[in-house]
Amino acid sequence: MERQVIGKNVEKIDALALATGQPVYTDDIKLPNTLHIKFLYSPHANAIIEDIDTTVAEKLPGVHMVLTYKNTPQVYHTTAGQGWPEPSPYDTCMFNQHVRFVGDRVAAVAGDSEEIALEALKLIKVKYNVLPAVFDPEEAMKEGAPILHEENPKGVYDAKRNLVAHIEVKAGDVEKGFEEGDVVVEHTFETQFAQHCPIETHATISYLDENGRIVIRSSTQVPFHVRRIVAQVLGIPVSQIRVIKPRIGGGFGTKQEIILEEVCAFVTMKTGRPARAVYSREEEFISARTRHPMKITVKIGAKRDGKFTAIKMYALSNTGAYGTHGLTVASNVGSKTLPLYNKAPDVEFIADVVYTNLPVPGAYRGYGATQGYACLEQAVDMVAEKLGLDPIAIRKINHIRKGETSPIFEALGEGREGVVQYIESEAIDKLLELGAREINFYEKRGKKVRNGSKVRGIGMALVMQGSGIAKIDAGASTIKLNEDGSVNVLYGGTDLGTGLDTVVAQIVGEVLGIDPKKVIVYPSDTDVTPFDKGAYASSGTYISGSAVYNTALKLREEILEVAKDMFGEQDSKDYILKDGFVISPRSGKSVSLSEIAYDTFYVKKQKQIMAVGSFVSESSPPPFAAHFVEIEVDEETGVITPIKYVAAVDCGIVINPELTKGQIIGAIVNGIGYALTEEYKFGENGKVLNPNFMEYRIPSSRDIPDIVPILVETYEPTGPLGAKSVSEININGPVPAIGNALYDALGIRLQSSPYTPDKVLKALKEKRK
Amino acid sequence: MKVHYKINGKDYEFDIYPGKVLLDVLRENGFTEIKGNCYMGTCGACTVLINGTPKTSCTILAAQVNGAEITTVKGLGDILNPHPLQKAFVEKGAVQCGYCTPGTILAAYALLKENPNPTDEEIKKAIDGNLCRCTGYVQQVEAIKYAITLLKEGK
Amino acid sequence: MLKLKNIEECFYPKTIEEAVEILKNSREPLRVVGGGLHLSVYPNPQIKGFIFLNNLGLNYIKEEEGNIKIGATVTINDAAKSDLIKGLFNGNLSSALSSIASELLRNQITFGGSVAQREPYSDIATILLALDADVVYFDGSEHTEKIDEFYKTDFRAKLKEAIIKEVRFKKFDSSYKFGMERHVRNATDIALLNMAMLAQIEENRIKDIIVSYGSRPMPAIRFKALEDFLKGKDLSEAVKEVYNFAKENADVKGDIRRDEQYRRELTGVFAKRLLESFGR
Repeated sequence: MERQVIGKNVEKIDALALATGQPVYTDDIKLPNTLHIKFLYSPHANAIIEDIDTTVAEKLPGVHMVLTYKNTPQVYHTTAGQGWPEPSPYDTCMFNQHVRFVGDRVAAVAGDSEEIALEALKLIKVKYNVLPAVFDPEEAMKEGAPILHEENPKGVYDAKRNLVAHIEVKAGDVEKGFEEGDVVVEHTFETQFAQHCPIETHATISYLDENGRIVIRSSTQVPFHVRRIVAQVLGIPVSQIRVIKPRIGGGFGTKQEIILEEVCAFVTMKTGRPARAVYSREEEFISARTRHPMKITVKIGAKRDGKFTAIKMYALSNTGAYGTHGLTVASNVGSKTLPLYNKAPDVEFIADVVYTNLPVPGAYRGYGATQGYACLEQAVDMVAEKLGLDPIAIRKINHIRKGETSPIFEALGEGREGVVQYIESEAIDKLLELGAREINFYEKRGKKVRNGSKVRGIGMALVMQGSGIAKIDAGASTIKLNEDGSVNVLYGGTDLGTGLDTVVAQIVGEVLGIDPKKVIVYPSDTDVTPFDKGAYASSGTYISGSAVYNTALKLREEILEVAKDMFGEQDSKDYILKDGFVISPRSGKSVSLSEIAYDTFYVKKQKQIMAVGSFVSESSPPPFAAHFVEIEVDEETGVITPIKYVAAVDCGIVINPELTKGQIIGAIVNGIGYALTEEYKFGENGKVLNPNFMEYRIPSSRDIPDIVPILVETYEPTGPLGAKSVSEININGPVPAIGNALYDALGIRLQSSPYTPDKVLKALKEKRK
Repeated sequence: MKVHYKINGKDYEFDIYPGKVLLDVLRENGFTEIKGNCYMGTCGACTVLINGTPKTSCTILAAQVNGAEITTVKGLGDILNPHPLQKAFVEKGAVQCGYCTPGTILAAYALLKENPNPTDEEIKKAIDGNLCRCTGYVQQVEAIKYAITLLKEGK
Repeated sequence: MLKLKNIEECFYPKTIEEAVEILKNSREPLRVVGGGLHLSVYPNPQIKGFIFLNNLGLNYIKEEEGNIKIGATVTINDAAKSDLIKGLFNGNLSSALSSIASELLRNQITFGGSVAQREPYSDIATILLALDADVVYFDGSEHTEKIDEFYKTDFRAKLKEAIIKEVRFKKFDSSYKFGMERHVRNATDIALLNMAMLAQIEENRIKDIIVSYGSRPMPAIRFKALEDFLKGKDLSEAVKEVYNFAKENADVKGDIRRDEQYRRELTGVFAKRLLESFGR
């Protein structure tokens, strides 16, 4: 089928507004009479609030409300923006009496200005009963460890052992598989706390509309989940709340969470006034969400010829003080990695998700797969080395192929059972071939080219992700036709800067044969747009896009019906939509969409040509990517510098190449930061010591290597116009690829990320002994 | 105290508390195109040009630049009449969430005024104070190079 | 975000004499503001007013009487981009300055401010120590002190009633070489260890040498022991031996950013690399 609009670099529809500074973000509006909300945080990692006296704070002129656990709804819920019933424990109220990490919420003040609110915080008197704290997940599971959630929340596996979840999935018998193997390799790797660092922090404004309904305008990835959970917490019907997502300054998962919305809505509900809460950068680091740090052990058995006989993976996940996304992230550690090597008949995945008194991890691009690949892809290299095979060869022997499946798909879902699925689009061998060629993998590998004290190394990693969550994630849209042949698309999907609105415009443009500029997209407003689960799990194009695609097809049918009547023909099966016209090939008759609209608005058989469509997927077709990196390591200082990074990516049919490349490159650079420089530093008492950009180092423009994305198209039959997802997968590559490159250069393998220079030097010293 | 600025070519007078930083004074007075809240000069989203030099407005005392000429991204172009840099950022996929975009464009603008033919390294250095978490910078550099050709062609 | 809550007055003196008068006569604690960056990152809630230095005309970079003179309100970028600075030491000073922090901060950080605040990670301090620079300050009369000596006094007390006017260093002839090394986590970071060297090399011999290092994590100082060790040595010999000497004699500690062992190692590596660069 000839592509009209798909595959073209259509300009991102909001890009010009953003580049010219239009006031489109949450905090760009100023409402009169707004109450500004500031939070008081716990200085202790584990404590019970014995007494909290807010009387002096309340008396400060300009203070209108002081919130604590005493005067706010004690409704246990999860802050995770997930589909209902959420697979995360209901382990927190808006404010808790038991505070569980340094940075946990103790109280909030709503004042006429930020300054007044901050002053009032100082006047709140809190008496804490300080309890012993635990920071290490292994310690936290032991008997005698402080119990974080004595209230035994709904959805927790074993509160007495601080276990939010315990996952065990087996296919076959791994011990037998290891015995059958000619070699067995075991590798343990630890990943660190990291923050998404969206340049716009969390921001929420709430106000009452003219009918007294609460309107929440928030920098969120999950407007519909916000509406449902705020209704739950406040004890009011969903119909009393409207959530609007304006433009967002980045999310990456930290905004897949209900963090500020319930507090703002509560203040608005009680005072009738608009309420505003915006996190400072420090609050974003400490009291928003982070990435789950994990300790992962992978054991692989393989035969001489390279075929894996068994893979065993154990993940110990530190889920911090609250269990939001704890189970599901841990599930993805296995579900998004093990199927990649489906040739191993015996597979086992075990995970423990443990509470500790530390800042709260949540959803973060990659969502467990990142941590899983950090270990798995290095273990695979280790097996290859033992067998005398090159890293690409061993992956070619073991990777999943089109038409195949893995028992893991069915066994490991996200809080529910997984879904059997077969791979319907895949080109991994091509990814490996093109990527290897672009970086000269075979020529450069093992050469350890020297330039003074600097040594070069080459490494690779093969990764996959998913596209939405099968049988759970749903999206919907409506499309209506206007007099000039343009259409309004109302859909619940949540563009967080990724360009989803533009992809949607292109999908509709393709189906209806019109210029995407004639597709007016209005997204994520719970009063106006149909339901969508929100932006996470790499579901924008695949789920929201499919919903829009389905809707566009229905609209197409309606249009063709009217055209058929106008042409006086019997059936419209072979009609073509192109350049805003409906054309009947057999008669040569044509009519513009504009004429059709005028006719149906004003002339005869008047109606609004409009369609509603939904989509829930039966599978989660994985995108695949082969990453290759050339690094230079300075043997004297331990500094690793990435020189060139190649990512060959299969995300199905590419709807917008420029936007797709943007997702690939952005994820890679974020992954490089995670691999080399990003880490939280904690004091002995569990306090975050580096909650700012001066001490938590994310890459700047001067820190990037030469990055080459290679798009390899396949056709995914279950995806909209053949597309899969692309937004998360590429963050999974850098940690293992750079780790493998380091081994190629210096023969050392670090046991944890980030690969800081002092770790490299220590490892070199160890090796030289 | 009263401060005067010429912002995007227009004269303004504000009555401010002297301890305020420029970012807050400007945003509170409607210049919402200036973003950011790290208040340490580390993210760059609050970048403005002060007498043509790009600086982080979150670390500039409003009182110190009394009388200065300030340029925000709206001073370069607007939605009806965008500046070639703005057009280039749009065309080359350099705008994702857009939150860092105004600041980065101003830094690029200042670079091109001083050095109309920068190398890739010089471009990266000019925008090294503007953190971006979405794009990974590659398309931003491409956009700035494309803007150079647009400017040469007199667009 | 309001970090300074007690500001009552702003002063815009037109001469340095006027500025110092205001500073001396004020009953309230006032803050002299060059670029103002330090004030934002480390706000002092006691301050009641500002003395802005913008109008004092201290933004000159000039060559006078065989000295390079840099006014107190000159920013890092002003200096890095000036032809005069670019012409020194084969551009090494300019490129060292250009690598500090980020473009936006290089447009705000001033020489006067850096000298006055003496942040432990200050690259300006390390550079000026290596260049054997003078600090010129005014407290009613003008004083010129070697920066090394200046920092050994209670300079913060001095600056309560004085304002830095300029820094100056000799315009060294082509027999002098300058270099700087910085350890950073990534490109726009503060230094986690920095070292600068100024060496007079004649016939492959180190005739004279100054070594300074900072962010140890303590503030920058001269590495006198290393200077004595290197003076007079043949450059090639020195390159072979300096790593061990510097490493063993480094006065460095660990902090949350890097441990002592790593700083010690880098001190040796930096010293070796700087000397190697002088031989090229």
